[in-house]
Amino acid sequence: MKRRELLRAGVVAGAVAAMRPPVAAAQSTQNATIPPPPESQLTPAGRGVDASNDLAAANWKPLFLNEHQNETLIVLSELIMPATDTPGAKEALVNRYIDLVLAAETPEKQREFLNSLSYLDSESIRRCNNTFRYLAREDQDGLLHAMVYPRIAGGWAGDNVIPNDPGHAHFEALKERIVMAYYSSQIGEKELGWDGAFAHGPYQGCDHPEGSHK
Amino acid sequence: MSVTVNGMRSDDPLLQTYDAIVVGSGATGGWAAKRLSEAGLKVALLEAGRAVTPKEFTEHMPAYKLKYRDHSPEIVRTRPIQKECYACMEYNYEWFVNDLENPYSTPLDKPFTWQRLRVLGGRSLVWGRQSYRMSETDFKGASHDGYDVDWPISYADVAPYYDIVEKYVGISGASEGNEMLPDGQFLPPMKMSCGEALLRDRVKEKFGHTVTIGRVAILTQAHNGRLPCHYCGPCERGCTTFSYFSSPFTTVKDALASGNCTLITNAVVAHVNMDAAANKAAGVTYVDRLTHEVKEVKAKTVILCAQALESARILLNSSTREYPNGLANSSGALGHYLMDHVVGGGASGRLDTFRVLPNANEPARPNGIYVPRFRNTPKSGKHSRFIRGYGYQGGAEANFNFGAEGYGSIYKKAVKDGLYSIGLGAFGESLARWDNYVAIDPNLKDAWGIPALHVHMTHGDNETALMEDSAVAAAEMLEAAGAKDIRVRSSVEKPGMAIHEMGTARMGNDPKKFVLNSFNQTHDVKNLFVMDGASFVSTACQNPTLSFMAVTVRACDHLIDRFKRNDV
Repeated sequence: MKRRELLRAGVVAGAVAAMRPPVAAAQSTQNATIPPPPESQLTPAGRGVDASNDLAAANWKPLFLNEHQNETLIVLSELIMPATDTPGAKEALVNRYIDLVLAAETPEKQREFLNSLSYLDSESIRRCNNTFRYLAREDQDGLLHAMVYPRIAGGWAGDNVIPNDPGHAHFEALKERIVMAYYSSQIGEKELGWDGAFAHGPYQGCDHPEGSHK
Repeated sequence: MSVTVNGMRSDDPLLQTYDAIVVGSGATGGWAAKRLSEAGLKVALLEAGRAVTPKEFTEHMPAYKLKYRDHSPEIVRTRPIQKECYACMEYNYEWFVNDLENPYSTPLDKPFTWQRLRVLGGRSLVWGRQSYRMSETDFKGASHDGYDVDWPISYADVAPYYDIVEKYVGISGASEGNEMLPDGQFLPPMKMSCGEALLRDRVKEKFGHTVTIGRVAILTQAHNGRLPCHYCGPCERGCTTFSYFSSPFTTVKDALASGNCTLITNAVVAHVNMDAAANKAAGVTYVDRLTHEVKEVKAKTVILCAQALESARILLNSSTREYPNGLANSSGALGHYLMDHVVGGGASGRLDTFRVLPNANEPARPNGIYVPRFRNTPKSGKHSRFIRGYGYQGGAEANFNFGAEGYGSIYKKAVKDGLYSIGLGAFGESLARWDNYVAIDPNLKDAWGIPALHVHMTHGDNETALMEDSAVAAAEMLEAAGAKDIRVRSSVEKPGMAIHEMGTARMGNDPKKFVLNSFNQTHDVKNLFVMDGASFVSTACQNPTLSFMAVTVRACDHLIDRFKRNDV
């Protein structure tokens, strides 16, 4: 860790130093400099807009989901990406990010998402006579497990996998959005080992002796 | 309003008569501007887009700071075609053209994806940076297999210019002594991962093929005032240390520093103006991108470096009474022989040899490995099912296993345990064919009223056979390295996906068959030049930008000689 921090400090200092001379040189050697582009033509990222805290607002309200859908998503996302020794989906505000993206999606994609979410409820009602978010934890797990591993018990050869199971497809679609939302959050980046800096230092590569790559 | 930078003492750049107008400020236009202005010629460099500033570089910005964390559904509305390019992101999408303002048409059953930037530096801001020389076999393809024609120039003609470009740009790479991939002037190579080194050794042992670290326009040591790569990863978002080559901070900067180059941004060139009596180009007409005012620039020579399709479009839109089918098109070949490398073949798998945990903090090497062409080489002999060949780009590293099964704490752990993946993807030669072409669509104009292109291109049977073979050969190589769970891909992706467009104004000695001579000068109009990928006779299978730049510098030096002899 120490080595990496040193490397990073060196690289970052180098990067800052490097940003100055070329720009300054460009300005001094020319009657002509490359004019800065108007701010309005840059992306928000290019303007340095930081949206990290937008979703954490105390008065946050969903843009697209209704209250039941939002609460269901919170319960589901925490089941899929639970708090362990690190924070889970609920703390990462996964539901809020998904709501933001859905609000900007095409009607078709919005409909697909809502179909998947309501499949959860219809299966919950069919199996346990209640909507998904009010089920006991073990019933929620039972339902999700059936969607992840759609198998019919029986036969002398063991269980049979059901091909093209709609429950499986709905699960995968919901999981994909939740997983992406979690790992692209600040909490998710930290879960993957990120410590707050993006300048990484030398690439070590393979240092095995020639011909002994184990 | 057009932003104008004036390197000369004049209030109005449009009142000058320049020695040369260069249209386009990307990899080739930047070189033309630098080379000519440093030789003392007065140059006007026209760029259709705006300027770019390092302040808008975002390579160190984590995704969670973006409103949509780089999954913006909004980008797709204005850039449905550009979004097909991996480099078009929520970070930088303003560099890419707005597809609604920049339409083109294709036949319904022949999709073509045209991915392009309009900003100072063009695609050099986001390019893949892989930099390979073409070989003598590539320049003389017809002599080897009888298909189409040889280039009018040979490797020996271009080699000195490869040297010049490589020394200036800074290409890191390893010399291999492989006749299909000539060595060059390299900075120290980047290192291979363990999996890549293993693959290199096994492929050499079992097949005798070369696997080398990618030769890449990224510095591994300080070079020409730029710092080495710090391995943050996403070059396509810009680089605050200028460690990868992009024209605004190298060639264009030098051109402006010479005092001989005037940069005119937001200049959307509509057509070349002719002096019909003298049969000479007189300048260009452009539309100001922001005000839509129509303006004219005058020059003794006109050089198009606008990208293969765009340069052809400008000439096709410059018809005169003498050249009714497009300027400098007495051959009829203008727009034809459009090529783009074929991609879609390859294989990937898992290497369980290495127990390495992925980590978001690890240095990210913006480069991979490269396997030079090994089919239909002078040594390999002729393949029975196809001519020409392909090369692979690839890599091996520990990745997060986001595709792990299930959910909950088990899934969360599986993601971090990761998997060590290995893969090879082919870039195949695209054969030149008359029926792959661009023409003006009489019913379509862009947002500036300039007639737009109709693009008609398909990959053929030879390209399909190349991709099929590349899938099998890649799987065999991965198997030799001990990979498990190997999956092959032998699809042919739609043309344009390699973003290596070439042809449309090929060079050749016969004015009846070719638009350009061997110095990128049009046969028909002596002071009109096309110095981008349009001039390429064949594609080879190597990433072409290094060759584009070398051919441009060669053509510029020829033009400078003619200026010295007063022969313009």
